[in-house]
Formats: sequence, C-alpha cells, structure tokens
Amino acid sequence: MSAQLLLFQVLNGTGIGMIYFLLSVGLTLIFGLLRFVNFAHGAFYMAAAYIAYAVAVWTGTFWWALVLGPLLVAALALVVERTLLRHTYALPHESQILITFAVALIIQEGIILLFSPLGHNVPVPEALSGIVFLGPYVYPAYRLAVVGAAVLVGVVLWVAIERTRLGSILRAGSESAEMVGLLGINVDRVFMATFALGAALAGLAGVLAAPLRGVEPFMSSEALGIAFVVVVVGGLGTLSGALVGGLLIGLIQSLMSTLWPEGAQLMIYAAMALVILLRPAGLLGRL
Amino acid sequence: MRDMPRFPDLSSAVVLAGLAVLPFLVPVTLAVQIAIFATGTLSVTLLLGSIGLLSFGQGLYLGLGAYAGGLLLRDAGLGLVPSLVVATLAAAALAGLLGSVIVRRHGVYFVMLTLAFAQMGHFATLAFKDVTGGENGLSGLPRRFDLFGLPIEGPLSLYGLSAGAFLLVFLLVQRLVASPFGSVLAAIRENEPRCAVLGYPVARYKTAALALAGGIAGLAGALHVVFLGFVPPSDADLEMSQRLLVMALIGGVGSPGGALAGAAFYMIVSEALSEIWPRWMALIALLLIGLVLFLPGGLWSVGGRIAALRHREAARG
Repeated sequence: MSAQLLLFQVLNGTGIGMIYFLLSVGLTLIFGLLRFVNFAHGAFYMAAAYIAYAVAVWTGTFWWALVLGPLLVAALALVVERTLLRHTYALPHESQILITFAVALIIQEGIILLFSPLGHNVPVPEALSGIVFLGPYVYPAYRLAVVGAAVLVGVVLWVAIERTRLGSILRAGSESAEMVGLLGINVDRVFMATFALGAALAGLAGVLAAPLRGVEPFMSSEALGIAFVVVVVGGLGTLSGALVGGLLIGLIQSLMSTLWPEGAQLMIYAAMALVILLRPAGLLGRL
Repeated sequence: MRDMPRFPDLSSAVVLAGLAVLPFLVPVTLAVQIAIFATGTLSVTLLLGSIGLLSFGQGLYLGLGAYAGGLLLRDAGLGLVPSLVVATLAAAALAGLLGSVIVRRHGVYFVMLTLAFAQMGHFATLAFKDVTGGENGLSGLPRRFDLFGLPIEGPLSLYGLSAGAFLLVFLLVQRLVASPFGSVLAAIRENEPRCAVLGYPVARYKTAALALAGGIAGLAGALHVVFLGFVPPSDADLEMSQRLLVMALIGGVGSPGGALAGAAFYMIVSEALSEIWPRWMALIALLLIGLVLFLPGGLWSVGGRIAALRHREAARG
C-alpha cells in the first residue's frame, strides 16, 4: 500500500468513523438513561438519509437537509416515544426492544413505499464538491467537512453533558432515574427529550453519510449492526467509548476495503469478536 | 408459572391435530414451509420462553444448517439423514462456541451480540464466495432423497419429513422444559443472580441452551434446502433471524406449540398478502406492537385464556 493510498484510507476511515461515532453516541445516550437499546436507531439514520435525498432532489441544495433531517427524525422519535414507548416503561426491557424493532420495520416498509426499493445517489453539496490540497496530496473536501462537523457536534455534546445543568440531570438520571424524580425533576420529560436527542444524532449521521454512500432501504440494518459493534467495542454509556469504537471500526473498514474488499464488513465483526474475547467490557467500558 | 404439563397433554394433541390437517387446509408446498419454519421458530421459542434470552440472531444457525446441508448433499454425496444430522450438529457447535463468548455479556449486550454475530455470518457468506456461492447461493442439489428406504420426492413426502422433524423437536423441547434441566432454565429466567448464588453454573446452562437452540435452527435450515433444491443466501440473512423472532412472538413463547401457530400465521398471511400488497410487513409490525402491549403470550395463549374463562364460568355455575 503506497503512502498516498494509506493516507487516503486513514482519512476515509476517520470520516466514516466519525459518522459511526455520531450514530452510536445517540444509541449510547438513550441507553444510558432509558436502559434499553433502541432497535429503531438504524431506521432513524436511514430516514434522515432519505430526507437528505428528498431535499436534494426537490430543492437542489443539501444544506436544508442538515437541519431538516435531524429535526424531522427527532419529531418522529417524539411521536414514537409518546404514543408507544411511554406505555412500556413498566414492562420488561424486551418489550421496548421489540416495540422499537417493530417501529424500524414500519419505517423501512414506509421508505420502500415512498422511494422504491432501489438505491439512489445523493449529490455532494456543491460548495464542498471540490478537492483540498494536503501537502502534496489531494483529498475530497466533503469528507474533511464531515470530520469537522462531527468533531464540532462531539465537542458541543461533551460540553452539554459535562458542563450544563441539563447534562448533570442526564448523568444523574443514568445513575438513578428514580432518585432524580424524587428531587423534583420531571423524569418523564427528560426521557422524552433524550430519546429525541439520540434520534436526532442518528439523523445527523444519516444526513452526513448520504452523499458518501447513497441511500437504499437496507442501510438501516447495516447501520444498526455497526452501531452495536461500536458500542460493544467501545463500551456502552460513554461518549469516549463511542468515539474510540467508531474511529476504530471506521479505520478497520476503510483499510480492509483496499486489502480485501469482500471481507471488509466481515472484519468489522471479527474485530468485535476479538475485543469481547480479550476485553469483555469493551475497550473503555466497565463490566 | 409458564411451566408446561407433561406429555401427553392438550397442547401436544392440538399440535398433532394441526400437523395432520395442515396439508389439507393450505397448499402442500406452503404446509412444508410452515413445518420447516415452525422448527426454526422453536429455537427462538426455546430461548425466550424457557431461559428468557432474546435472540435476534437465530438466522445465523439456520443459515449455517442450510449451507452445511447443501454442501453435504451436493458435494460430499452424503445421504439425507446423515446430512441433516451433521448440519444440525455443526449449527449446534457454532452456537455453543459463539454462545460461550456471548454469555459473558448480560442483558442488553446479549441481544446486541446476537444481532452482530448474525450480521457477521451474513457478511461471511459474501466474503467467502468460493464456498457459499456469494449472492447466488448454491444450486444443483439432488431432488430425490431416501429416508430409510422411503423415497422423499414431491411435496407430500417432503411434508411428512418436515412435519415429522418438527414433531420430534417439539416433543424434545416439551420434555426438556419439563425436566430438571428445564426447571433450572426457568429459575435463571426468573432470577439469574439468585441462581448464580445458589451455585448453578449459569453461563454453562445458557451456553447449553444456546447450542441446543442453534442445532434446532440448523436442522430447519438443512430441511429448507432439501425442500428448495438450492441454498438461498437469504437463509443466512439478518431478515431470517427477524422472521424467526417475529413468528415466535406472534405464536407466543410460553409453549412450544406457539412456534407452529406463529409460523402458520406468518406464512399464510405472507402468502395471502404479498400478492395484494408487497409492503405487508408493515402490518405484521403493527401486529407485533399490539401483541407486545396487549397480548404478550401470543396467539397460543388465547386458547389458554378461553379455557381459563370457561373453567371459571363452570366453577361459578
């Protein structure tokens, strides 16, 4: 592998990894507080990618999608939480998993109904369609912008969780939701907001990924699998776990796709199996 | 308590009657598929019903059974019964191996790992094209088989084979749940930490249940390729895992009879609706939500509820 190709793949892997980070950090936030895994997470990601596609087709610009994708998906998540999930908090966690799984199926079928089962390309936004010179090498501008956007969101999230009142409610809630409720905080509303925020992050990941990989109705289960791998590798419940896991998986996928294209996806899962064998709690997790 | 009564009982009688009338109610080829998927569904039912493990990945073992069965029948020239047995054992071995890794994690990690390993299996079939045929699958399987001297050829004999296999597995699961082993599984389902404190090797019990369930799914996969005459790559798909889970939930996991009810319902509905509205899965998803919220015992529990109601009325009158 030449130096140029290696650099190219490392940058690609970082970009993909940052998208995986955004995807998984939403899953982690929801789990941290609500203690269940959102099986509709991949479907939220896909829904936003399709919103990006629709916006690009109808308006000719990508920028509205960056706002609309996460917002509409968050609204969808609010509806799901208010109408369905709210009634299952007293039931075993399996119930919430199965409800979100059913929601994922409905979203997937709905998208096939609206957009046909075939895949579509999403154009890279015009302002970022060029290339950037990195010393002697060239690199697509959009991929660099994705890394920048994800870093920005990551920093904002970190500050929001570690340094604000809302963040302290979230952290306290993930230790003991009951205790936070006794302190006079409306836990019900915190649950609702967290679920919507997690979905919005999956939505942002979906919008950013759309120009890189296009859209197709089966990207949701792929994304769900990847998000699970990331949180298993990194450790569930922490920002840093999602970051480390996301970057690691992105790099493995990107480097393997030059060495063994058919096996690139397989190696992601092999890496996960290795991590569980060596460190069952994940790289940064506590058992 | 969800423990099952000992054989012979009402539920095995209902299952037996159901298997007997099924090929007269629906086209025989559909009945064959119902029996095969009911067998696969039993692996989900066993895990979720007896030990409380939610698996999104039983399709992996069904897929392994399908590929193993296909390769043994086509390339190794093994007979029908040895192929089915070896495919079952291979799936059980993989399930036991992965299971011993997966049971190191609890609760929500367990669920995620079952899905992740199922995805791994799917991508493995794509990565090793030379063995699996990639997206084309494996074709050219023999179409005539010999079952202890009986020819297996054509839908009705295939139904006999698959219904027989289902009945065998059904009785095995039913006996197992009623056995001391099954009592430990139920205890783990109800209170895992207490079982561990009492000295039961919980991880080993879980691994054993996973291996058993994997073997059952593998048998279903091998039967599926015997029926189809080829190995479709969709057998190792994540969607297969989801389908088995959905069938199990529709039928209800409180009794192994639920697997037959769920598979029959799902296959008949898909047959009836897929021509009219290809997006019928959305309706199944709505049904799933309704079941989780209002009827967690699934279709099979309806009979029990009616019986209990009549019992109460009889007692009153």
